[in-house]
Amino acid sequence: MAATTKTNSELFFNGILNENPIFRLALSMCPAVGLTTTMMNGLLLGIAVTFVQVFSSCTIALIKDYIHPRIRIPTYTFTIATWVTVIDMILAAYVPAAYKEMGIFVKLIVAFAIITMRLEIFACKNNVVKSFWDALGMGLGFMFGMMSIGFVRELLGMGSLFGYKILDFRPLLFFVLPAAGFFCIGLMMAIFNYVEFKFKGKGNKQ
Amino acid sequence: MKNIIRITIGLIITCVMAGLVMGGVFTLTHDKKQENEHLRFQETMLGLLGFGKENPAPQDLKFLSIYRYTLEDPKAPEKKDLGYIVPVLNEGKEVFKLLIMSQEGEFKKALDLNLAIDKAMEEQERKSALERALEKGIRPSFGDTIILAKKGNERLAFLLPGRFPGFKTVIKVMLALSPDYTVKGLEIMEHEEDPGLGGEITQDYFKNQFVGKPFSKLAELKVVKEPLPEDYRKVLEATRGPLSPEQEKALAPYKDRDIYALTGATISSKAVAEGVKNITMKFAYRFQNLEKVLASQGLIPAF
Repeated sequence: MAATTKTNSELFFNGILNENPIFRLALSMCPAVGLTTTMMNGLLLGIAVTFVQVFSSCTIALIKDYIHPRIRIPTYTFTIATWVTVIDMILAAYVPAAYKEMGIFVKLIVAFAIITMRLEIFACKNNVVKSFWDALGMGLGFMFGMMSIGFVRELLGMGSLFGYKILDFRPLLFFVLPAAGFFCIGLMMAIFNYVEFKFKGKGNKQ
Repeated sequence: MKNIIRITIGLIITCVMAGLVMGGVFTLTHDKKQENEHLRFQETMLGLLGFGKENPAPQDLKFLSIYRYTLEDPKAPEKKDLGYIVPVLNEGKEVFKLLIMSQEGEFKKALDLNLAIDKAMEEQERKSALERALEKGIRPSFGDTIILAKKGNERLAFLLPGRFPGFKTVIKVMLALSPDYTVKGLEIMEHEEDPGLGGEITQDYFKNQFVGKPFSKLAELKVVKEPLPEDYRKVLEATRGPLSPEQEKALAPYKDRDIYALTGATISSKAVAEGVKNITMKFAYRFQNLEKVLASQGLIPAF
């Protein structure tokens, strides 16, 4: 794939809908299964991933001409790990309230497939501005996916949303357990595809 | 060959750059981070005593810390002694003494420590002070801290930071005990239990179940798998800090009950109950020994 010809806004919405990391690319499934027990988790993890994705993509887009092709994957890993550590330390020092909630999520991000994959597919072939919009779209798409799974699981598993009680009882306690994540993601993926086929017709399938 | 050299140099540069960035940010943020942790610790201590924004702490509230160390002598490794860094009164002034005693509470030695009161919070300072006072070769390793909250001359509570294994990793808590070893409050400082299941240990309706449990009950504390009675839950969720007389009355029928397990997280519930029990039991035993030794040596404790 050579440099993209898409406009910035196309790139942005591409990450949220056409190539949604969770429902379309099926990447980063571990956090999607393990951490979507509540909507709040999805939101916090989404914010953290968006930041790391944007910073890493921009860095790689800046230095792409200097990376030897045979060591690009280690370089990506270093870049992501550096940004994760930096964000972790800055949060801990200057925004302790947010760190208390987000601390454990930020450290998990180093191993997320979606970030490495975006650097490999997009950022190392495009300029900084395009990479920024692509990263932002991907990050927000990830957040959207996580939050929608979290919505279903939290509502069914705990009867609450964002920690506020909606129902007086827990309809299906099973939905809090990791195994239910699989069911939930499968169902949501199917719905996501169904809606898109409805609007665009099967011919547009990428 | 040329390729390998280029790859090597490329990797080295990447590593060095990454290292420099991380190191730089670390030095910039480290102090602030520690300060934040320290602040949070203090806030939790005050919160457990019932002081906060609406109810500010009185001027004469004071925290005194006792640090417990295990002393290992390489010549007799199977016998470990306990070393307590205790604040004592010496001609009206607070100074730190090091009390060495056996595990069974038998007095061995009392040493003077060259440690300023305001520096004792830092582990590094304590360690170097211990090394100066102890004989060569004896290795101290830090055990835990007992914090005593005092208002004027009256003992308010013991605050015990502790840690124990949970379902997944270590759970760090702070336990507040009244002077007669009744639980005054429990706060979960750090944990990595599953959100939605074991993570519910941070909820008021779980951790407040421990509040008001007397020492005699704690010794045989168990976890029962029964649904939490609705009226009990309401009182528990309204409880913050020390109990008001009405709350005490409402909680009285449940005082000698066991802990109701969390739905779907029996292991985490058991871990916390066991942990609280262990912290209290060990503390009570050690503290009584310590007080006995202090009295027999004619030392006047500052607490």
